[in-house]
Amino acid sequence: MEYKVEAHRIMSISLGKIYNSRVQRGGIKLHKNLLVSLVLRSARQVYLSDYYSGACLNAQSEREGNEWDITDSEREKFPPSATECDRVESTEEPQPNEQPEKEREYRENDDEVKSDQVDCTSTLQEQNQNSSLDSVAKVSSETPPESITEPKESPSDSAVAERDSTPEANGESHQPPKPHVCSNRKRSAEESESGDSPQKRTKVASSNAKEDEEAEEMDTSNVSNLITIFGSSFSGLLSKESAKPEAEAEDSGQICCDQMLKNLNPWSTAIVAF
Amino acid sequence: MHKNALLCSVAADIISTVEFNSTGELLATGDKGGRVVVFQREQESKNQPHRRGEYNVYSTFQSHEPEFDYLKSLEIEEKINKIRWLPQQNAAYFLLSTNDKTVKLWKISERDKRPEGYNLKDEDGRIRDPTTITALRVPVLRPMDLMVEATPRRVFCNAHTYHINSISVNSDYETFMSTDDLRINLWNLEITNRSFNIVDIKPVNMEELTEVITAAEFHPHQCNTFVYSSSKGSIRLCDMRASALCDNHSKFFEEPEDPSNRSFFSEIISSISDVKFSHSGRYLMTRDYLTVKVWDLNMESKPLETYQVHDYLRSKLCSLYENDCIFDKFECVWNGSDSVIMTGSYNNFFRMFDRNTKRDVTLEASRENSKPRAILKPRKVCVGGKRRKDEISVDSLDFSKKILHTAWHPSENIIAVAATNNLYIFQDKVN
Repeated sequence: MEYKVEAHRIMSISLGKIYNSRVQRGGIKLHKNLLVSLVLRSARQVYLSDYYSGACLNAQSEREGNEWDITDSEREKFPPSATECDRVESTEEPQPNEQPEKEREYRENDDEVKSDQVDCTSTLQEQNQNSSLDSVAKVSSETPPESITEPKESPSDSAVAERDSTPEANGESHQPPKPHVCSNRKRSAEESESGDSPQKRTKVASSNAKEDEEAEEMDTSNVSNLITIFGSSFSGLLSKESAKPEAEAEDSGQICCDQMLKNLNPWSTAIVAF
Repeated sequence: MHKNALLCSVAADIISTVEFNSTGELLATGDKGGRVVVFQREQESKNQPHRRGEYNVYSTFQSHEPEFDYLKSLEIEEKINKIRWLPQQNAAYFLLSTNDKTVKLWKISERDKRPEGYNLKDEDGRIRDPTTITALRVPVLRPMDLMVEATPRRVFCNAHTYHINSISVNSDYETFMSTDDLRINLWNLEITNRSFNIVDIKPVNMEELTEVITAAEFHPHQCNTFVYSSSKGSIRLCDMRASALCDNHSKFFEEPEDPSNRSFFSEIISSISDVKFSHSGRYLMTRDYLTVKVWDLNMESKPLETYQVHDYLRSKLCSLYENDCIFDKFECVWNGSDSVIMTGSYNNFFRMFDRNTKRDVTLEASRENSKPRAILKPRKVCVGGKRRKDEISVDSLDFSKKILHTAWHPSENIIAVAATNNLYIFQDKVN
């Protein structure tokens, strides 16, 4: 779903803004940070709404059997009106050899998605083409349970945190699609940076916000810096149970981050863990 | 209406506020570098009738300097957020200027006479040797070249934890209020070491923060009434007679959100960036990102009128979020008779809405079409489809050229428009 892509992109951009506000001249602007955190929260709700709505259909989808034996070309032609809930998910995972094909699809679909970015606010209501992206996303989302033992599988860290919080945690749950699924990253780079994707996206989004939205390959050194920065500040904030407003202006910005953080708990868990 | 360009001045820095005084004789601008420039209108003279009403620089002074809060390790910007004039009571002019943390009262006065003939010091100011003084004389005032000097008379500081976004002088001319994100403080103009907190919306637990105050203003005639706007798109009217702390409003103005317009950015675009009472005191005007609304104080449920400023941006909110333009705080102004309202947009466009005829016009503040006595041509933004010859398409708009601050003369059709670091003054053509 494009709106999931957009939701994730907006989350990354928002995180980047909050991060940048710390180094801004004049101190943290409470109003702007509050608005950014509201956007972040909305985007996250949208992003995760599919997770919960899909989870309740899981039992139903199992009964309906395996409709997963469709070819890639058919996926591409999947009718735009199909919603995710209609999509049948199967616990029989697609074979790994389909993954390279999925990669190709990611990139194709990505270009189309990027051309629609200007209309991202309308993607909430309307459903553009590229529902094949949805099917691809579905496919990829099914892979983590199978590859859970593979430490290199990138979203597994963040997915683990999400999965643990839901009752269906036994490999048959409907996972949220990997965060990086719909971005234009090479697979190998993704797999080597397991658990990094949210932070990487933040960095890339904030630095590339004004360029074309093509996500480049991972820059591992920058990424690790970013993780360090996020890790030190966010985990530090997480450890504070309540905000002490001695330095209120600064804390207000931090508290906004705190607010956001509580919503992003699974991610920050991943950060801290990493 | 035809607008003549009268004057175009370039400031060294980005202009951050523009304000006429109560007679319109003076126009003050504040900029990002903490400077205030005051323009004065030329007196009409019979010798040069064509130079009627031009504004020339009257005084320039550094109002605020950058500061550093050592306790919080925060730099305090010197940018002037607001200027408000006090009504004139004697020959001197007084204005309040504020940055993020400190409000200052400035006195601007003219000096055109100089005392000469002191006994104890000579004309250069050096002390005379007393033994050389043989006679006593009375100093006399002699004319000198006009000098305009600005002196800070009061400094109101250390009362705001958050960033000050508004100041407003009360109609009693004794008090004023300063507003930051969470609190509004009431000051007496004479007393700087004490202020009263009249609104406090800070939650006990900052994590529960959901809205902030974005602007506030006193009623133009009722000294007990003021309004403040919030980031959630609501306006609260408070009466200071009701209680010392005005956390409970007397009136609450809010329009229910249109669910069909819901998006990730609904909250941002509903945040009110400016609120202004009409001169009559009967109406309120609010500006959010895409619209200007006029409210009747007697009707809280919905605005009286809603004007679309640049609705074509509604589909571009995501890009505007990315480049931070969605956080731009546009101001809005009434004309002297409350019949026309004006606000700014992008690409150096500004918009005027006539409340009576329901007609609106888009004008551009740019050097090309602002030669002296040139007439401004209405502009049009083409939303889609076929673009006419002199229309501009939405994608060609320059979002770095934004008009956030405008001012309207209190009684005449003279407007001041700040476009980044240029100030444009336009006047209605008089035949």
